[in-house]
Amino acid sequence: MKRILSLLLVSVMLLALAGTAFAQDKDWEIVVVPKDASNPWFVRMKVGVDEYAAETGLNVYQKGTPEIDATLQAQLVQDLIAQGVDAICVVPVNPESLEPVLKQAMDAGIVVIAHEGASLENVNYDIEAFSNTGYGAFIMDNLAEAMGEEGLYTTMVAHVTNASHNEWADAGVAHQKEKYPNMTLLADEARVESEDNGDVAYNKAKELFKKYPDLKGIMGTSSYDAPGVARAIDELGLVGKVFTSGTGMPADNKALLESGTVKSLTLWDPALAGKAMIALAVKVLNGEAIEAPIDLAVDGYTALTFKEGSDKVLEGQGWIVINKDNVDSFGF
Amino acid sequence: MQKNLKKLTKRSEPYIFLVVLALCLLIEVRSGQFFTANNLVDIASAMVVPGLFAIGTFMVIVSGGIDVSFPALASLTSYATTKILLDAGYTGGIWLPILMSMAMGALLGAFNGVFIGFLGLPAMIVTLGSSSVFKGLMQGALNSVQLTVIPKGMQSFGTSALFVATNPVSGLTSRMPLGFLVFAAVLILSFFIMRYTFFGRGIYAIGGNEVSAHRAGFHTKRTKFLLYVFVGMTASLAGLIRTCMMQQNHPTNMLGMEMNIIAGVVLGGTAITGGAGSLTGCMLGTLLIVIVENSMILIGIPTIWKSVFVGALIIIGTGISAYQVVRANRTGGFKSRIREVKA
Repeated sequence: MKRILSLLLVSVMLLALAGTAFAQDKDWEIVVVPKDASNPWFVRMKVGVDEYAAETGLNVYQKGTPEIDATLQAQLVQDLIAQGVDAICVVPVNPESLEPVLKQAMDAGIVVIAHEGASLENVNYDIEAFSNTGYGAFIMDNLAEAMGEEGLYTTMVAHVTNASHNEWADAGVAHQKEKYPNMTLLADEARVESEDNGDVAYNKAKELFKKYPDLKGIMGTSSYDAPGVARAIDELGLVGKVFTSGTGMPADNKALLESGTVKSLTLWDPALAGKAMIALAVKVLNGEAIEAPIDLAVDGYTALTFKEGSDKVLEGQGWIVINKDNVDSFGF
Repeated sequence: MQKNLKKLTKRSEPYIFLVVLALCLLIEVRSGQFFTANNLVDIASAMVVPGLFAIGTFMVIVSGGIDVSFPALASLTSYATTKILLDAGYTGGIWLPILMSMAMGALLGAFNGVFIGFLGLPAMIVTLGSSSVFKGLMQGALNSVQLTVIPKGMQSFGTSALFVATNPVSGLTSRMPLGFLVFAAVLILSFFIMRYTFFGRGIYAIGGNEVSAHRAGFHTKRTKFLLYVFVGMTASLAGLIRTCMMQQNHPTNMLGMEMNIIAGVVLGGTAITGGAGSLTGCMLGTLLIVIVENSMILIGIPTIWKSVFVGALIIIGTGISAYQVVRANRTGGFKSRIREVKA
């Protein structure tokens, strides 16, 4: 009798163990949807996503549209809903137009995590590498340092509809007003569009410098802005006279940083942002309570806090500066 | 003299020329920067790639067809060329890249040509399809990413200048790229082909009426096939020059250009139904679009109104030239149409 009882007990324990193991190893299918598949920014994000998949063995992968296009991205998300994936991590091209599709996803019981989409309503959570105000001010500090804290400047965004870029630019301008009284924003062209295209950024910069000879700096936001502007600065013979700063990938801008056309660029690591999105999705799928500060065990995302007045937007401390001294140290 | 003048008012080119001139004057008044050496060089430099695309698009539209696949074709060939040469560690001059990409362009053009020319399928459907195929090959088979380093020969071709224009007041300098010579050469060659060769006259004839052209003795199928091969070659050349000028290959940033290029060609008085149009008009139309796209800040149009302004200009410009054609047809009837063809 005792023997039967102990056998029973052991088997119950084994079952329970298997049960918990099963719960942890549940084959979540988590998909990361970037703005497009060829931008090096999102190629780098894929590195992080693939690393995460290799480390955890989860069914996690990144799937991007061939070009940056809000309509194509919405279609892709719809396809994923139809496939019945467990979680979608998305970097929206145009937050507003993606809302209805994300609502469909949430209605279908899919966990939705966004990145660079703080204005989104239909998401479980949105992760920002940092507060947009913090990063905008950080870019402005870099630009101000290059400009010697004085002179006329303007701001460049991918599109005037892009949420994050415009928040950075607004914050940059606010920070300048507070901290750099000798700098002025170009009132006639306070914000220009680069359309996420290096050639457009280049042509826009040429026009700006022609029309406004006093213009001394351009604050870039998209990863195409500063490099495109730098090409114009170089061609127009303005190196050392006008300056630009903004987001940029180290390897792509190595030559620009080393030649001194651009003094410093700012950045967060998209690979880590990708990992953080998935880590948060896993937490939500596992039913864990999400309470600040959240530790996702990813560098720069170890103490996420909610943005003021929001219970969806989480902010980390993931910004970094790259210049000619550390450009080689990132490995991407 | 008077007869010549009268003839001139019936054509659309003079009107587009006037629109271009008016726009230039507007920009000059608003910014005082249009007629400066460096700005004119900037415009010429911005004209190279759209200009090359427009030449091919013009020929296709004259033949009664349409091609929406050229940006994808140019992206694919320039990406493949850059990637292959980078992987091979190529350090030579610009000739090999040019030949390579044009050979690929000819091949992909032939792909369009077989379906449109020999199988007689609608050009719109075929090129929409091939556009997807080319994009797919680039993104799937070649796994395209942005290439931030390009081979040495291409790099120096992109940065070397025919001459450098300096603005005496502001001291700004602009480079006239070597690519402009290539554009000029292709333009002259195409002008000659369209005007003096049997092949070129065949393109006009097919666009006018394919059956008649065939009965009149033109090899309509072969002409159309060769046309798309030629267009593939010019488009791939444009793609390569774009890569050299940007000093990097961004595989998707040419996609979507087809709309403005086609608009420019139609703006230049080329009949969208085929059979009529001149290369001069086509270049003027393209120039208009290029100037508009690169002068929004100079004019002082707020960023958010840019698309509205560009769109309105396209409608006005096309409207004027379309109205001219209608008027000419009403008064001159068939004869004036013949005159258009002769031009």
